[in-house]
Amino acid sequence: MASQPPVTAGATGTAAASIQDIFDSSLNLEETHFNDGFTEGYNAGLISGKEEAKQVGLKFGFQVGEELGFYRGCVDVWNSAIEVDSTRFSSRVQKSIKQMEELLQKYPYFDPDDESAQEIMDNLRLKFRAICATLSVKLEYNGFLKSSSEAKDIEF
Amino acid sequence: MDFSEEGLELKEIQRLEGHNDKVWSLAWNPTSTLLASCSGDKTVRIWQRSPSTSSWHCKAVLEETHTRTVRSCAWSPSGKLLATASFDATTAIWELIGDDFECVSTLEGHENEVKSVSWNASGSLLATCSRDKSVWIWEVQPGNEFECVSVLQGHTQDVKMVQWHPIMDVLFSCSYDNTVKIWAEDGDSDDWHCVQTLGESNNGHTSTVWALSFNPEGDKMVTCSDDLTVKIWDTDSITMQAGEGYAPWKHLCTLSGYHDRTIFSAHWSREGIIATGAADDAIRFFVESKDGLVDGPLYKLMLKKEQAHDMDINSVQWSSGENRLLASASDDGTIKIWELASIT
Repeated sequence: MASQPPVTAGATGTAAASIQDIFDSSLNLEETHFNDGFTEGYNAGLISGKEEAKQVGLKFGFQVGEELGFYRGCVDVWNSAIEVDSTRFSSRVQKSIKQMEELLQKYPYFDPDDESAQEIMDNLRLKFRAICATLSVKLEYNGFLKSSSEAKDIEF
Repeated sequence: MDFSEEGLELKEIQRLEGHNDKVWSLAWNPTSTLLASCSGDKTVRIWQRSPSTSSWHCKAVLEETHTRTVRSCAWSPSGKLLATASFDATTAIWELIGDDFECVSTLEGHENEVKSVSWNASGSLLATCSRDKSVWIWEVQPGNEFECVSVLQGHTQDVKMVQWHPIMDVLFSCSYDNTVKIWAEDGDSDDWHCVQTLGESNNGHTSTVWALSFNPEGDKMVTCSDDLTVKIWDTDSITMQAGEGYAPWKHLCTLSGYHDRTIFSAHWSREGIIATGAADDAIRFFVESKDGLVDGPLYKLMLKKEQAHDMDINSVQWSSGENRLLASASDDGTIKIWELASIT
């Protein structure tokens, strides 16, 4: 803000003030444009950021949901097998299937901020691998990123 | 036993040739009548001493099973089964049937290279570890079936070696993440947890821990590392023997200044001699010092064999037999049998 000139008497003072105003707007041209641009960019960013976040959330949520669904499907098939023949799997495997089922029930599907989500997912993956190894089946959730793909090709 | 009074030397008994690539690991069977070796040439060789000539010869070559380097091998406590861990992500179980070793089971589960395999004292459990950072525990079932008991995650890098405690069902693993982790079962529930991590904050190693070994009593442990040190750890043997399960381990001493290259292997003999094999091609022997210094080093270098091999030494293993026989395996593709004998 430009400081107001000291108010003197009469019309001269008023004229001086209005001249000053005219120059003001051109003097602050850069600042005005900067502010306008900032506001415009901020609003645009807010919209596109929200959209991007929505897409990321949708994608990630879909991935998590898909993986959980994959495990749910496996557990259901195994449970059906046990129902048909209760001696089909060892007690250890049956226990692990039960534990997977409990983990799937515990998963905080509607609370992404719940910190137990990752822990439950890690436990599910471990149990799943243990069951598959014992059953000698090669099942793999396709979307799951293997740690091997990120590792370097080193051998020792 | 006080070894310092004796004049000891390391005599080469025999040089075993046959592998076409680096020899990674060795295992004596419980009666020390057979020696298994495994190599980058994807094979396992079984060496036997002929009673008549008392020289060692290759009794069998276990091949066409593993498709990549065989990194580690271990005999079951009964001596009937041999487990071999390979970079092909599998662990094979071999049994001597008639006069041949047959692959009776293949353990699959690791995502990539299996680095080490170990049987527990009773032979009922098998542990494996991998570059996938996980440690797996398997239970032996009738009919050579193996059931996965637990998949343990805790290491943040490649796990180099797994070793069961010689008496209790407590598992030790060491890693490229510079730590040793101790795993124990919670009650009888298949729930295995990491009960202790020996890292830099507990006077642990500052680089990759390559191997570990226990004294015969099981109350002391030696670890060796890329940080050029060997460390001795101990635990409360009374708590341990009282059957109260796991007792915490603590750092006892660090042997530094003896090695100037990575130490790949350390093995504690029944008599209490620690042998180390390192990237400087030398084999060293350490014994407990009887000098009685309260604050001084508790272990001292007893003997050093320079140029024991032409290249890095990957494994040193004491035989459990009568003589002080030591086997060493090297990147030079050979295995050597040594005797630690009095100077005559």
